[in-house]
Amino acid sequence: MSDPSPSLHLRQRLRRGRDHLATALITAGGIGVIAALLAIGVFLVVEVVPLFWSTPTDTGHEVSWRALWLPQSYEGYDAPQHRWQPTVTSAEERPQYGMTPLVWGTLKAAAWALVIAVPLALGAAIHSAMFMSRRLRSRIKPTLELMEALPGVVIGFIAGLVLAPWVERHLAGALALVVLLPPGVLIAGWGWTRLPVRLRRCLPLGWAGLWLVPWLLLLVAAALGLAPWLEAGWFGGDLRGWLELRLGLDYASRNAMIVGLAMGFAVMPSVYALAEDALSGVPGSLGEGAQAMGATRWQTLWKVVLPAASPGVFSAVMIGAGRAVGETMIVLMASGNTALMTLSPFDGMRSMAASIAIELPEAAFGGTHYRLLLLAALALFVFTFLVNTLAEVVRARLRHRYRRLGGAP
Amino acid sequence: MQRGGKARRRWLGALILMLAMPVAMADEVVGSLGAVGSDTLAGLMLRWGEQLTDRHPGIRLQLQASGSASAPPALVAGTTRLGPMSRAMSDTERRDFIERHGYPPVEIEVARDALVVIVHRHNPLTQLSLAELDGIFSATRRCGGGHAITRWRELGIERPRGRLALHGRNAASGTYGLFRQRALCNGDYRARLDEHPGSAAVVAAVAASPRAIGYAGRNHLTAGVRALPLVDAEGRAVRPDPERVRQGDYPLSRTLYLYLNLPPGEALPGPERAFVELILSPEGQETVVELGFVALPQATLERQRRRLGLHETP
Repeated sequence: MSDPSPSLHLRQRLRRGRDHLATALITAGGIGVIAALLAIGVFLVVEVVPLFWSTPTDTGHEVSWRALWLPQSYEGYDAPQHRWQPTVTSAEERPQYGMTPLVWGTLKAAAWALVIAVPLALGAAIHSAMFMSRRLRSRIKPTLELMEALPGVVIGFIAGLVLAPWVERHLAGALALVVLLPPGVLIAGWGWTRLPVRLRRCLPLGWAGLWLVPWLLLLVAAALGLAPWLEAGWFGGDLRGWLELRLGLDYASRNAMIVGLAMGFAVMPSVYALAEDALSGVPGSLGEGAQAMGATRWQTLWKVVLPAASPGVFSAVMIGAGRAVGETMIVLMASGNTALMTLSPFDGMRSMAASIAIELPEAAFGGTHYRLLLLAALALFVFTFLVNTLAEVVRARLRHRYRRLGGAP
Repeated sequence: MQRGGKARRRWLGALILMLAMPVAMADEVVGSLGAVGSDTLAGLMLRWGEQLTDRHPGIRLQLQASGSASAPPALVAGTTRLGPMSRAMSDTERRDFIERHGYPPVEIEVARDALVVIVHRHNPLTQLSLAELDGIFSATRRCGGGHAITRWRELGIERPRGRLALHGRNAASGTYGLFRQRALCNGDYRARLDEHPGSAAVVAAVAASPRAIGYAGRNHLTAGVRALPLVDAEGRAVRPDPERVRQGDYPLSRTLYLYLNLPPGEALPGPERAFVELILSPEGQETVVELGFVALPQATLERQRRRLGLHETP
């Protein structure tokens, strides 16, 4: 038994040293991230707390928790109002700090984004995980995931300066599209089942993503072409007037529908990607077993695969909600920033994130306005933190479940 | 040996150059100017900055244009010595400055401007009274607007039908504050008013919709929109023409300011002095007109040059 040669010994020690160094660096990085996260939270709390502790020096008006959230009576109004008008132009005025419209606007924008993004993203995920041909999927999935790389500013810019004026000019056509497209796709599906088998073989289900495109274009053309006649026939040639007269809806050019479309577009890729991963990660043995016992593809999907993947789908939606609540530039550019509290999809709104972006540069450092904006920031931070943590916990449990199922004989 | 000699010669050259530089630039003003404030003035400040660099190659202007309201905090905190503002400082802002520094900021008028009330180019409305303006934009109507005006019919025109869609600036801008002060008598804006992060965005939004009405800085006017004449106290409809704005006849005229942090008794430091000299010179005022603002009257220019001790310039 001879000693290892000194150079080999040295090399081993060097390698071990490198390992230690790498481990230490990675650990330090992890701790650093956690520390930074905590520090941000602590900073926000420390900045916000004086709001309720002491009388602010800049306005002389105490800010109470109730005044932030409940309607207040202001000079010149008949009834108590929720108002957000934090800057004053003369000394005898009182700034109006009603935070409720901002919270409302944030939730409303996120809700409309999810209404548009979730059905589309989940539908796409189910189709591409269960039915789509492998070749098409290998092209479409990266493309959809690439959409996620589009910066919010760009989407917001297009929504605010191109989409919003276009929809305002072609309101009837745009609404006709919204009404016509979903049933149009359903009709295509029904028609497909009625086709003779020979024809159906020419239009395989796995390639529906491609052969539906001409049909969709046809629907779009039909909706836009028919809209002026529909408007003239049913709505007296003035859909906006009709909406206002009959339904009491005022159409603002930058509204929840536009924000929902734009932000839905921004949120969709991440929801799709996560849901698709969850669905295609369901162990194949489960679906095969169900089909072997005579279940149809639909039954397999609905009764076996979806329940198995449901935590993953849930966390995909949660991640989408977190992104929609925190998204700033799209809401800033496409919502009109009107601090309203209405349910109407044709009204604008003002979100907390957009308010922070617009107002923080002008807020006097340490003043009430500044602290209120940081309170909004804290609320956003807590919300996205909770939502993301929840999503991550659920996903971890899902991975565990898959491992167990996959390992079963 | 050859290479070493070359390198040494290059070093020597660089050394001589470095030694010679201060001599060559001894009478040149050198430095960088930082400015924080109005985005209305951003284009003008940048153009003046370019001209300044042409005159004195050693000076660079760095501008952060995030709204007039951002100028006073930056001046108070001492992060900048120049604060361009599209309105005069409020009493509170002035008090904060004095509390921190012990003396008031130096106020320099740099140009005149006006807020214009704009409608789509096909809108048939011919003029607007100040009471009507209040009724349209205000929720509290302190400026004589008897009742709220929400439909075009109430302004006496048939088309466009329906409601007015209101567009304005976000709260950080001096334009927002000034319009509120002058047109709303410090009343509250209607909640249903789209707040845009720039005047150009307001103009673009109004140009895209026949039912829209909005306010913006005069220099942002485009062919897509029309500025409405406003009826003044004597019942005359006044257009925002340069002469009417310069004299202050147009009701929403305003002066654009530059605020300086300068202890009393001290002379202006070189770069600042060069910059103010340029602004108050005929060349600087020509730039004002080029960018769609209105030049100051000759008398005002003279008075300010004298006050700042700049009278030796022509």
